[in-house]
Amino acid sequence: MTNNWPENLRKIIEEFKDCFDSMERYELLFEYAKKNPNSLSMEEWNEENQVLGCQSRAHVECMLDENGNFLLKTGADAQIVQGLMAITAIAVNGLSSFEVSKLSPSYVEEMGLKSSLTPSRANGFLNMFRRVISEAEILAEA
Amino acid sequence: MALDIQAIRSDFPILNRILPNGKQLVYFDNAATSQKPQCVIDAMTNFYENYNSNAHRANHTLADEASAALENARTQISDFFGAKPENLIYTSGATEAINLVSFGWARNNLNEDDVIVVTEMEHHADIVPWQELSKEKGVEVRYVPINIETFVLDMEAFEVAVEGASLVCVTHTSNVLGIRNPIEKIIDLSKKSGAAVLIDCAQGAPHEKIEFEHLGADFIAISAHKMAGPTGIGCLLTTSERIQQMKPFMTGGSIIKKVTIDGTIFKDGHEMFETGTPRIAEAIGWGAAVEWLDQFEMKDIHEHIHNIASLAGDEMRSIPGIKIYGDPNNKDSAGAISFLHETIQSQDLAILLDEGGFAVRTGHHCAQPLMDALGVPSTNRASFWIYNTKQEVEAFVKHLRYICERFS
Repeated sequence: MTNNWPENLRKIIEEFKDCFDSMERYELLFEYAKKNPNSLSMEEWNEENQVLGCQSRAHVECMLDENGNFLLKTGADAQIVQGLMAITAIAVNGLSSFEVSKLSPSYVEEMGLKSSLTPSRANGFLNMFRRVISEAEILAEA
Repeated sequence: MALDIQAIRSDFPILNRILPNGKQLVYFDNAATSQKPQCVIDAMTNFYENYNSNAHRANHTLADEASAALENARTQISDFFGAKPENLIYTSGATEAINLVSFGWARNNLNEDDVIVVTEMEHHADIVPWQELSKEKGVEVRYVPINIETFVLDMEAFEVAVEGASLVCVTHTSNVLGIRNPIEKIIDLSKKSGAAVLIDCAQGAPHEKIEFEHLGADFIAISAHKMAGPTGIGCLLTTSERIQQMKPFMTGGSIIKKVTIDGTIFKDGHEMFETGTPRIAEAIGWGAAVEWLDQFEMKDIHEHIHNIASLAGDEMRSIPGIKIYGDPNNKDSAGAISFLHETIQSQDLAILLDEGGFAVRTGHHCAQPLMDALGVPSTNRASFWIYNTKQEVEAFVKHLRYICERFS
C-alpha cells in the first residue's frame, strides 16, 4: 500500500508537509506522541510486547477490535518513536489486518522525516513498524 | 604552544561537509571515532594505486614495497608510543587487543585461583572477555566502583580489590565520563601486588602521549581510528616477557615456521599473533596518522580539548533541565561530556541536535555497568578533538538551549 494511504494518514501527511521546517515537523510529532489514541501505559509494558533491538524502550500490541478490525497499541519512551507510532495507529486502526500487512513505512518519508528511517535510527520506529506488519500478517492468516 | 586550529581543520576535508538538511556538519562524536586528515587518506590511496600487494609473501617489487611499508608503519607507531617494534602486535583495534590478552595470555596463565580486577567504568570490550574467561576457567572477577558524586574511580576500593590479584584491567580514560584514571598509581599498586596490568588506551591515546615502556604496564590496547587513523586496525603493546607467555588465539597462515600433517611449529615473538593477510593499507594509514600527530605536542592537543570541553560544560550547565555526568573542568578530563535532559529522551535529543548539524552519540556507549551505577539507561555524549572550535561549541550550546526551550 504505497501512495494509496488511508484517508486518516493522508491528512496527517499534508499537515506535516505544511510545516515550515524540520524543527516544526518534530514539534508536531511530539504533539502526536502526546495524543496517541491507543497508547500502552508503562504499566502495560512487558517483555512480551517489547520490541527488541531498540535503543529506546518500545512496546507494541496488535489485536482485533470487536468488529474484527486491526487495533494497534504502542508505547515508547522516545517521543519521536511514540509520535510516529501514534500516527501509524491512527492510520491502521479500523483497517483489515490484510490491509495493514501491505502498508509501507514510506509515509514517514512523505512527512519529511526521512532521517527517522535511516538504519541507525530505525532502531526505534522501523523495528516497531516491522513488528506491526509481522503481527498483521499473522492476524490476516488466522 | 597554541595550536593553529584553522590550519588543522584544513587538513580534514570532511569538516567542510554540508549535511542533506543544508546544515554545516559540527562533529562532536570523536570518542566514537575521529575524522581523518588528508595525508592519511592519501597514504592509503597511494598504497592501493601504486604498490598494493600482499606483504611478506612474494619476491616481486610490489610485495617488497608493501612489506617494507607495513614494517615501517610498525616502527613509526611503536616509536610514537615509546615501545619496541617487536613488541607491537597489530590487531583490528583495542577490542581485539584485549581479547588477545584474554585468549592468548590469560587462558594460558590464569586458573580458578586467580583474580582479575576491572572497574565499573570499563567499556564492554574490557568486561565481557573477563566474564567469559571467568565462566570458562573459574577466575574471580572483582569490580571496582566509581564515586557517583565525583565520577572518579574509588581508589580505596581499588586498593582492597588489587590484593591478591593476578591481572588488573583498567581503562586509561572513560569513554562515557571523559575522566582519566590515575593509571600511574594503578600500575604501581598492581605491580606491588604482583599483578599484570592491561590498560585500555582506546580513549587515552588520542589525548595524551602514551609512553609504553615508561608507564610499565604489561599490556596496552589501542585503536587507530580514534586518533586520526583508519578503522580496522589497532595494536597490543606488550613486553618480550609477556609475549613468551602467550599463545596465538587465531591461527592460520603467516605465523608458522612449518606445518606438517603431524602439527605446526609457530614463529617466535609478535609474528606468532598476526595470522592471515595483514591490514597493510590500514597500517600505512595509521603510520601517516601518527606522523601527522607528531607535528604537535600532545599536551597542547589536550589543553585545547580541555579548554573547549570546559567551555561546553560551563555553558551546558546553565541550560535548565540539563545534567552533566562527568567533570569537564577537571584538568585531566579528556573532552567527553555525557549529559541528559530531565524530560527530553536521549535519542530524541540526539535527533534534534542532528537537525542542527551537530553529531553527538546517544546510547549506553557499550558501558552498561557504568550506566547502572549512574542509574540511567543511556546518555547523550558530546566529545571533542583537536579540530573542534569554541565557535562550534557556542553554536552547539545555542541549539541545545533552543531544543530544551521548545521541546521540554
